Amino acid sequence: MLDLDELVNNDGSEQSREIFWNQDLYQLEIERIFSRCWLFLTHESLIPKYGDFVSARMAEEEIIVCRQKDDTIRAFINSCTHRGNQVCHAESGNARAFICNYHGWAYGTDGALVDIPLEQRCNAQVNKEDCGLPQVRVESYRGFLYGCFDAEAPNLEEYLGEFGWLLDTWMIGAGNGVELLGPPSKSVLDCNWKVPAENFVGDAYHVGWTHAAALEVMGGELAGLAGNRADMPFDDMGKQFTTRHGHGFGVINNAATSIHIDRADYDTFMAEQLPKVAENLGEARADLFNGHWNCTLFPNNSFLYGTNTFKVWHPRGPHQIEVWSWTLVHKDMDRELRKKIQIGAAFTFGTAGTLEADDGENMMTCTHSNRGSVTRRGTLRSTMGLNHEGPHPDYPGIVGASFIGETSYRGFYRFYKEILKAQSWDAVRDNDDSWDSTFENRDFWKNRPTAS
Amino acid sequence: MPTDTKPKVATARRVTAELQHQIEQHYYTEARMLQDELFREWLEQLVAPDIHYWLPVYEQRFRRDKRPAPTPDDAAIYNDDYAMLKMRVERLYTGQVWMEDPPSRIRYSISNVEAYHTEIPGELQVYSNFTIQRHRRQTEHYTHTGGRQDLLRQDGTTFKLARRKIDLDARVVQDKNLYFFA
Repeated sequence: MLDLDELVNNDGSEQSREIFWNQDLYQLEIERIFSRCWLFLTHESLIPKYGDFVSARMAEEEIIVCRQKDDTIRAFINSCTHRGNQVCHAESGNARAFICNYHGWAYGTDGALVDIPLEQRCNAQVNKEDCGLPQVRVESYRGFLYGCFDAEAPNLEEYLGEFGWLLDTWMIGAGNGVELLGPPSKSVLDCNWKVPAENFVGDAYHVGWTHAAALEVMGGELAGLAGNRADMPFDDMGKQFTTRHGHGFGVINNAATSIHIDRADYDTFMAEQLPKVAENLGEARADLFNGHWNCTLFPNNSFLYGTNTFKVWHPRGPHQIEVWSWTLVHKDMDRELRKKIQIGAAFTFGTAGTLEADDGENMMTCTHSNRGSVTRRGTLRSTMGLNHEGPHPDYPGIVGASFIGETSYRGFYRFYKEILKAQSWDAVRDNDDSWDSTFENRDFWKNRPTAS
Repeated sequence: MPTDTKPKVATARRVTAELQHQIEQHYYTEARMLQDELFREWLEQLVAPDIHYWLPVYEQRFRRDKRPAPTPDDAAIYNDDYAMLKMRVERLYTGQVWMEDPPSRIRYSISNVEAYHTEIPGELQVYSNFTIQRHRRQTEHYTHTGGRQDLLRQDGTTFKLARRKIDLDARVVQDKNLYFFA
């Protein structure tokens, strides 16, 4: 029997290796994390017209997301209520109905069961009103659509909380906001879903070493990190953030476009937007706008603002994921720039990306080395920058002093443990005022002479 | 699987048996260079400076879906020019690609080579199929199958690759990356 208190220590800086391997724990994650949290589905711009749909996934559940006649968006489970067959096998399209291949049961674009072949003549004895495709809560944040299975969960805006305030920096800070370009590339990776989630939430540490080869060849501001050889004032080069519900990111100042190979037009675009961000949202967020952000929206939605890759790590059991990757662009970018961004993002973080290719093996063996039960008795640590973090005068959440640190790892795993232990969302809400008390150095920023 | 409609097979002029043989031998040499990690030589000797090297993302759509097949303006896994290919190649020579140390093994089988003349003298439209086997570490084994549509430019007794469109059969890539040259 698993002792949930033993999985992660109090401040989130030490984890049992069990969390990357244990099948029972995986089932508990499905029930208490993936069946309760908001999971990324798609972006509104990818289903612009009535009847436009995409096939999405929420952990291991197949989902259809479809735009309705009244322009609202619905999401429902992609499995016939008769015998369970999947009712839609296309990844996207425009539909007036979803018809099951098995016996021809037909569902409307709202998921309602509208037709049962031979219903009267053969005494089907089904109450159609009760047999629609089960509906999923779906809400939008700045055009990004998320689904949730738990009626008791906070709404999406509350779930994101202060993380949303921070994401607004580039989601609405300038012009008309951002959107995604699809279709997503898809690949299978033999790792636990938390390995890439933790990597994106707070691992700028690995960049200089894991990605040394690509950085050296591609140049740009981050090339200085290659091989960890440079002596840099890391504390003045960026920050890390962790907020309620485990979301977090690291930001490298003024490095947004740094790993794009064809970036002149992108740099110009960003320079034009920057004053608008200051005007719309104030200086604190304007200071982050031109930074490079590595983010995870808890639990499994990760993205790199600046590098423009936007990903979901769909769990497929404890030891495998499916990676879906879109390209993140500003709506105000012209066609040429969007194309450059899409090509650049694929070049670095696509399925054959010059940086992405470096990560896969690490993620795989970080998982599979835990198959040995003796190895698994050990723990893993994310202590870098512990106590070099705290509440900040200008930003919400807990802010770490350096982009190379593990502040947002600790925030991620602190919440991971909290939600695994919680019997319901009400139990989570009980901690809303005290969640960050495990970050003990409350006066870190106040006492830091060079705090900026 | 969508393919280019040009050249029309019924009307396009097939190459002679001798030229067909040269093209096949060229592909075998190319495969061997890539198997032997002669990436710089491959790029310098077999790839034209105006290369477009392209592996588009294909979504699975209903047959009734009339949206056009992907173009180079759409999502892709490779959408490279020569400078990008050169960066990919040079990355492999930095000595810092940890996952290739110890090196992995890759093996190419090229088949179904079908070559046609185009309207431009010396330019050939060539279709081929590939099976690529990757072995890594102790037990990792990945297989990739697909087709290629190449534009080859005759260069004396050899050929330069000017366009390559790679159609990968798998929708969900069954490998940790596609960092190899198909």
